[in-house]
Amino acid sequence: MKKFVQLLCAALLGTGLIAAAQAAEPAPLPATSIYRIPPLTLVDQDGHSFSFASLVGTPRLLGMFYASCQMACPVEIETIKQIEHAVAKAGATPISVVLVSFDPTHDDVAVLRKAAVQHGVSAPEFLLTRAMTGDIGMLGGVLGISWRPLPGGGFQHNVVVALLDREGRIIATDPANGRIDPAFVAAIVREERATR
Amino acid sequence: MLRTLTGLLMLLAALVPWPARADAAAARFVTVPGGHFVSSLLDGTRTVTVRVAPFAMMEKPVTEAQFAAFLRAHPEWQRGRIAPLFAGPNYLAGWLTPTDPGDAQAARRPVTAVSWFTARAYCDSLHAELPSWYQWEYAAAASSSSRDARAGMIRRNAILAALMRATGQRPGLIGQRPANVYGLRDLNRLIWEWVSDYGAMFPDVNGDVGSAGSGSVLRLCGGAALAFRDPSDYALAERVAALSMLAPADSSPFVGFRCVRNLGDAP
Amino acid sequence: MKRILATAIALALGCAALASNVHASPLPAGWACTPATCGAPEGKPIVEQLLPPPQVPARITRRYPAKVIVNLEAREVVGTLADGVKYDFYTFNGTVPGPMIRVRVGDTVEIRLKNAHSDHMPHNIDLHAVMGTGGGAADSIVIPGHEGAFEFKALHAGFFVYHCAMAPAAVHIANGMYGAIMVEPADGLPRVDKEFYVMQGEFYTPGAYMQPGLQPLDMKKLLDEQPTYVVFNGRVGSLTGDHALRAREGQTVRFFFANGGPNLTSSFHMIGGIWNTVWPWGGSNEDHNVQTISVPPGGTVIADMKLVVPGTFMLVDHAAVRMFNKGALGQLVVSGPEQPMLYRALWNRPFPPASAMPTAATSAH
Repeated sequence: MKKFVQLLCAALLGTGLIAAAQAAEPAPLPATSIYRIPPLTLVDQDGHSFSFASLVGTPRLLGMFYASCQMACPVEIETIKQIEHAVAKAGATPISVVLVSFDPTHDDVAVLRKAAVQHGVSAPEFLLTRAMTGDIGMLGGVLGISWRPLPGGGFQHNVVVALLDREGRIIATDPANGRIDPAFVAAIVREERATR
Repeated sequence: MLRTLTGLLMLLAALVPWPARADAAAARFVTVPGGHFVSSLLDGTRTVTVRVAPFAMMEKPVTEAQFAAFLRAHPEWQRGRIAPLFAGPNYLAGWLTPTDPGDAQAARRPVTAVSWFTARAYCDSLHAELPSWYQWEYAAAASSSSRDARAGMIRRNAILAALMRATGQRPGLIGQRPANVYGLRDLNRLIWEWVSDYGAMFPDVNGDVGSAGSGSVLRLCGGAALAFRDPSDYALAERVAALSMLAPADSSPFVGFRCVRNLGDAP
Repeated sequence: MKRILATAIALALGCAALASNVHASPLPAGWACTPATCGAPEGKPIVEQLLPPPQVPARITRRYPAKVIVNLEAREVVGTLADGVKYDFYTFNGTVPGPMIRVRVGDTVEIRLKNAHSDHMPHNIDLHAVMGTGGGAADSIVIPGHEGAFEFKALHAGFFVYHCAMAPAAVHIANGMYGAIMVEPADGLPRVDKEFYVMQGEFYTPGAYMQPGLQPLDMKKLLDEQPTYVVFNGRVGSLTGDHALRAREGQTVRFFFANGGPNLTSSFHMIGGIWNTVWPWGGSNEDHNVQTISVPPGGTVIADMKLVVPGTFMLVDHAAVRMFNKGALGQLVVSGPEQPMLYRALWNRPFPPASAMPTAATSAH
């Protein structure tokens, strides 16, 4: 019985907290902000966890990957690095990168850390993450990224890297396939300068 | 003490808005035993045998009444409130109001004109998810007498005929045909159904995967001949083509869905 | 001296002509794009006036390249395949075939394709008049309730089929989703008095020919290429009886004839007539005095006939079972005075059997 009362109280308290959180909510996100997807908690290669929506406030490059990927994902990461290099050469500050794994079953923090070392990327500029809670399918959907596990292992998937403005609107996308698209670089430079 | 507690409970019951369930019978999940089967989709150019783990699938497609109950409990997915990222202007376009399908048969009619995002959100609210293509295909391969009835030309013909007969009409009512050997109903002849990985069903012409809705290889006139193990299964080709041309925010008046639970998932 | 000069000039002109012949298009004048005919679109964009078959849009009198906008809608409709027989058609603009489009070589054509909200399937359009991936198919896929558009330059004059190419294309075509587009040569085709638009197609139903009721597509018959119906303009009787085509003696009529298929080649013939002029394959070459023309699926012909005598002329696929048993039959009723100098009946009477006529051979013994 006592336990039941505790549960009830916890439930009440929870409801109160949610209400308080709603009251303290900042200005609403634009209608097309991808931070509107249902709540997602991510953890990065250093074991830091954070909510996906907390990425709001600064422009970012956002994409998806999986660590055991042999071809497309290494190319994706290297392309992003070259894009950032081109951004720096154009006199702007490279913007931060977040990649989310669509293979959370295998990509734990240790695997992410190993992948980060292997590709020479580090937090906080370049986060390799996986979801702890929430539906990464929703994230894939808004980014235009699809994947399907293949019977022989690995995934059939596509690659999209999106440039998000500070409020989470997709400004431009790139297939990150090894070719550096000057228009995509220019979009990043513009966005970074505009929000400096 | 007990009395006070009871009082508190009653007060709580009055305060907490339970989702209205009067007209929306809870979805029944049916266990589908695992097994091997040969998928109609090629892996590139290879035929693949797929091992499917046992899972639980909704006996019927989600009904309009069930979806209406979900919308009342989750107003953020209602037409008019939903972010444009998740649904376009055709989302539930035929409904009378954002929560009322305006259909006397709402408890027996499959909900359609829902986007992939909203279907996903619905399943999530039941602690379930959309089936993968392989799960759906495996379940739908069964007839009322066989676990894999796909090769039968008469059945294929009947499926295609049923889908074409619905031309220009709203989808028919659930439960007018016998269940298949697993106890699942209306997988083939009523509507198309969303699957979780529909966007990655086909490699692109150049070997990459097109994004969802791009349809990749199916965009080419002869593409269908390259995409399926058996290109003469027109009923399946129609279904896959209809799905693969949709973007995840699109809604189509003949695309509905049902949910699955991987066995072991919390109910 | 004068003569030498003239010879030199003639020689020079001849050489120039020869040289230009080497590079010039082998086509008759006006059938291919030249800088003169294919410049940037002029004038206001023209919205194509689309008419149901067998009607043909007005011939083009314009002599400059224009922008032409074509509004098409994919519609899945229950329609009549024969008296008492219904079928779930896939159509462009609700008719089988879809409306004939008529533009001029060098025009810039904008194809707008809507897919009706009540449809099931994604649809698209592949026009054989287009130079471009899939004839526009890849860039015109629309799901129900969506619309799309693409643009092409009509580089080649000719009469071309268009059709839906959405997977599985054989099903979309078998359900009637085709039509045709005439890209007129720069100076137009020779004038005629009447023009008709007829398109052949097959339908595959589980029910036998003329079995009443709503008939679905029979996949087995489609795969075996054994149609139940072979018809003109989407139904048995679309061009007979009250719907027969009509003309007057002395007129020259033109058929824009196309074959949607999906599988059978048509042997297009007019019973009681000879085609004075045809443009086989819908291309630039003319041929004359032709009886029967092969028109493959996804192919066309333009066929002219001067009507010199009155009567009822039957338009058929001369593969005879198709005209007698599957529906490939139309009528052209020509009115006017009899022309006994050209054609007349002589007699039709009994004659005695051979046994009633004793011969020298049999009576000799």
